[in-house]
Amino acid sequence: MNNTWAVCKREFASYFLTPVGYVVVGMVALISGLSFAMSFLTHVDITQSPTTFAYSTVPDFEESLLSPFLVFCGMLIMFLSPLITMRLLAEERHRGTIELLLTHPLRDREIVFGKYFAALGMLLVMMLIVSVHLMVVGYFVDVEPAVLVFGVLTVFLMGAAFISLGLFISSISRNQITAGTLTFGLLLLLFIVGNAGEKLPEISPMPETYPAMLRAPFGFVYATFRTFVMELLVDAHAKDMAQGIFQPHDVLYYVLFSAFFLFLTFRALESRNWRG
Amino acid sequence: MIEALKLTKFYGAVAAIQDVSFTVGAGEIIGFLGPNGAGKSTTMRILTGFSPATRGTARVAGFDVHEDPIEVKRRVGYLPERVPLYEEMSVDAFLRYVAEIKGVSRSMRRAAVGEAMERCGVSQMGGRLIGHLSKGYRQRVGLAQALLGKPEVLVLDEPTVGLDPRQIVDIRHMIKNLAGDHTVLISTHILPEVAMLCRRAVIINQGRVAVEADLATLTEGAREFHVTVRGDAGKAEQVLLGVAGVKSATLDATGQWLVQGTNVDGEAVNAALVNAGLGVSALEHRRKSLEEVFMEVVSREREAVV
Repeated sequence: MNNTWAVCKREFASYFLTPVGYVVVGMVALISGLSFAMSFLTHVDITQSPTTFAYSTVPDFEESLLSPFLVFCGMLIMFLSPLITMRLLAEERHRGTIELLLTHPLRDREIVFGKYFAALGMLLVMMLIVSVHLMVVGYFVDVEPAVLVFGVLTVFLMGAAFISLGLFISSISRNQITAGTLTFGLLLLLFIVGNAGEKLPEISPMPETYPAMLRAPFGFVYATFRTFVMELLVDAHAKDMAQGIFQPHDVLYYVLFSAFFLFLTFRALESRNWRG
Repeated sequence: MIEALKLTKFYGAVAAIQDVSFTVGAGEIIGFLGPNGAGKSTTMRILTGFSPATRGTARVAGFDVHEDPIEVKRRVGYLPERVPLYEEMSVDAFLRYVAEIKGVSRSMRRAAVGEAMERCGVSQMGGRLIGHLSKGYRQRVGLAQALLGKPEVLVLDEPTVGLDPRQIVDIRHMIKNLAGDHTVLISTHILPEVAMLCRRAVIINQGRVAVEADLATLTEGAREFHVTVRGDAGKAEQVLLGVAGVKSATLDATGQWLVQGTNVDGEAVNAALVNAGLGVSALEHRRKSLEEVFMEVVSREREAVV
């Protein structure tokens, strides 16, 4: 545990000894601030004439501003998370400091969790900045606490999932740029694939003229595939939670997502023992 | 303290080292020699638990590197060939971090870091960023990193590379002082360094141990004599070749005989010449330099392979 903390501390400090930390924090502040201001102005317009925006009555503050803003923050984190994860292990490998880590009495889990927690620390810093806006909102408006609590939780879980993917990619790369690009590409892919899932027709595309014996299993496989693709969508799992509805299966989705990639990271680090 | 038994490491189909075996006793400083690409670093990486051997076992400080890696790593200080440094950190912060992951207790950390810095002459550099240091200072910080926590075993991969002559002398002096308390395995290209620091050397070539012996034995094993003889050259040659152990006797342009062989006794050479009625005006026993031994070993192996 002490070692995990030591690795985590060093890694986190490094974010702010190099420009990375400042760049990420600055970008989050700039973009979330701008988008918050813009959503707020839109909200004001909507409140003044709801009918022009296809609302029958004045919408809830939570519904038209807060939840979409939280989901947007999740997306912002998706764009920036490769920046905080790409260096985690790739840089150690590139600089040769991996030799230091692996020849000191550290267990693999202390290295992996140390790095993961450091990146989660950066995520917390990002969310701290986002919560400045939420605090301003909380001061002036009577917001439903559930929206805030579950909304912030879901953004955090989403970010943690992105980071676990990034950590894994970093663990198999030697070059930070490769790691960053690949992470970003995969995250974007998850995002797009989910949307593509909605385009898939609900009924099996196999023609009716085929024998039923074939159609039944194919239909099952297709349905599973379709559900799977649709469930992959990373932000779909955030929408309900961001509206203040606690959804255990969404929480589970993000937790399993993280666990899966942390598991892969362990295997990747272990592979030094059997790879030439 | 260090026991390597038939270590073999393959990178793909290429064997970096094959059946490397040697032992290092407690408190000993042993030199690890070999041309580039001979497998020195590979062996050191296996001993320190960085990468596993394909075959063979290694025991360091009584623990098997493969079975108890953590116990081994607690007892080993390692300076890799490429000094592992976090450039964005200050020397102080870096060494404190290393002390922490080495398991130096919180109360001892400051003192341990201070001592290691002093030993390596970087006390004044504590606040400097590692990225701003010169090569020599980086090397020293790397060395300080290895010494932290007073590990029983030190594995130093070319510790004096990049240092200026004065620093080299300092570092050698420091390493020499480590003997007794620490067991040191040191690899280097600089042969006089080995002659200065070590009593024993392992010469590794093309992935195999070519020689493992005391330096005294290495340089003395094959004796050479320079003899200046007055009298008939033909007779002198006959007499010289007749001495026990002499393999060759050649006359050079200056009129000096070079007598080579194994376990040749100088007195016997002298006696034989005098008994034969030849005058001996000079007889000099010449030790081989480590360079010569090294070159011999390396080129012999090369010929054998070709």
